[in-house]
Amino acid sequence: MQRLILFLILIFAATSTSAHNFKVFATIEDGDVTGYAFFVGGGRPHGAIIIIQDTASNELYRGTTDDAGIFSWRPAQPADLTVVANAGDGHVATTRISRERFPSASSTSVEITHNAAAPPNTVLSSEKQTTGTAACVPEDIEQLVGEAVARQVQPLLEAYAQAEDRTKLTDVVGGIGMIFGLAGIAMWAFSRRRVNDSTR
Amino acid sequence: MAHIPDGVLSAPVLIGGGIVAAAGIAMALRKMDETAIPRTAILSAVFFTVSLIVIPVGPSSIHPLLSALMGLIIGVLTTPAVLIALILQLLLFGFGGVTSLGVNTVNIAFPGIVLALLFGPVIARSSPVRAGMYAGICAGLAVVGTGALVSLALVLSSSAYVPSAKILLATYIPLMIGEGLVTGFAVAFIMRVEPELLAGARKREV
Repeated sequence: MQRLILFLILIFAATSTSAHNFKVFATIEDGDVTGYAFFVGGGRPHGAIIIIQDTASNELYRGTTDDAGIFSWRPAQPADLTVVANAGDGHVATTRISRERFPSASSTSVEITHNAAAPPNTVLSSEKQTTGTAACVPEDIEQLVGEAVARQVQPLLEAYAQAEDRTKLTDVVGGIGMIFGLAGIAMWAFSRRRVNDSTR
Repeated sequence: MAHIPDGVLSAPVLIGGGIVAAAGIAMALRKMDETAIPRTAILSAVFFTVSLIVIPVGPSSIHPLLSALMGLIIGVLTTPAVLIALILQLLLFGFGGVTSLGVNTVNIAFPGIVLALLFGPVIARSSPVRAGMYAGICAGLAVVGTGALVSLALVLSSSAYVPSAKILLATYIPLMIGEGLVTGFAVAFIMRVEPELLAGARKREV
């Protein structure tokens, strides 16, 4: 009986906690790759090693997180990147940044229709075709819109990364139920063997 | 830490860990009898729940294992208890890795089992307070054992993930102390109330 009570206390203690998955969150701010490493449910490692690689696993940057677990680096050009965080005791986390998330440099005007960050404005692009010169306005608008969207979306991405692996009481109770279910099956199997042995 | 995810260890280490874990399970199944199942299930559920309690420590974080307590109460049945809890943690929380199940089971369960076998007889013979002390030491050593096995697995795999000794010490020492205290108090309580719970005490009667 006391065991049961102790056990129930432990269950309730676990409701306010999380499995300590180690994760890394990265985003683009003004062309910098920035973000932080964290343990789901709380805790940021300081002095964790951050390695940023390109798609060929070449190491482009190696640094450490500061006291708040934050890192920042400006790549020479937009590219598909992989961010690896290593807490030094076996905890490792990775995340990817695709090149589309970088603000597009105002190079060619044709890129407006290809860029996924802002919906192409058909009025402006046809205006561009008739004038024939690279007008500043559509690209500036696109960049502003892109930055505004990134600003609004970033808290969402952060919150999602943090919430993704949070443990829920339902999951804990489900796991415990499963364990007892397996125990029940095992006991049933044993008792059947006992019955079979005795009737033989 | 003790729950190594996929993609960190090399194939030989994973296969070796799987084989050793399977051997541990086979040994446990042979020794299992019906009356042991409820105990095993409860401890498996306790381990499952308790390793969700996360305590941030410096650059990393730790979670209780209670492997020594399990070893002291159910002996070799700790291996299946840990394995099932690890599988459920993986399925429900994405905690740990599929390929590393064997290695993780060995790392967590075996130090607890071995140290409980060593300390069990002494604990069963002692007064509750002394038993608690010995159990606390046993638990601390089990944590050291788990840390050593985790480091060994990482070192044998590759150099990229070798944990720095400094960080290991920083995180494992608080865990040793915490586990030692919890296990010590738990065993002292058990010895006062229901000594037959401990595997060492049961063996003595047989």
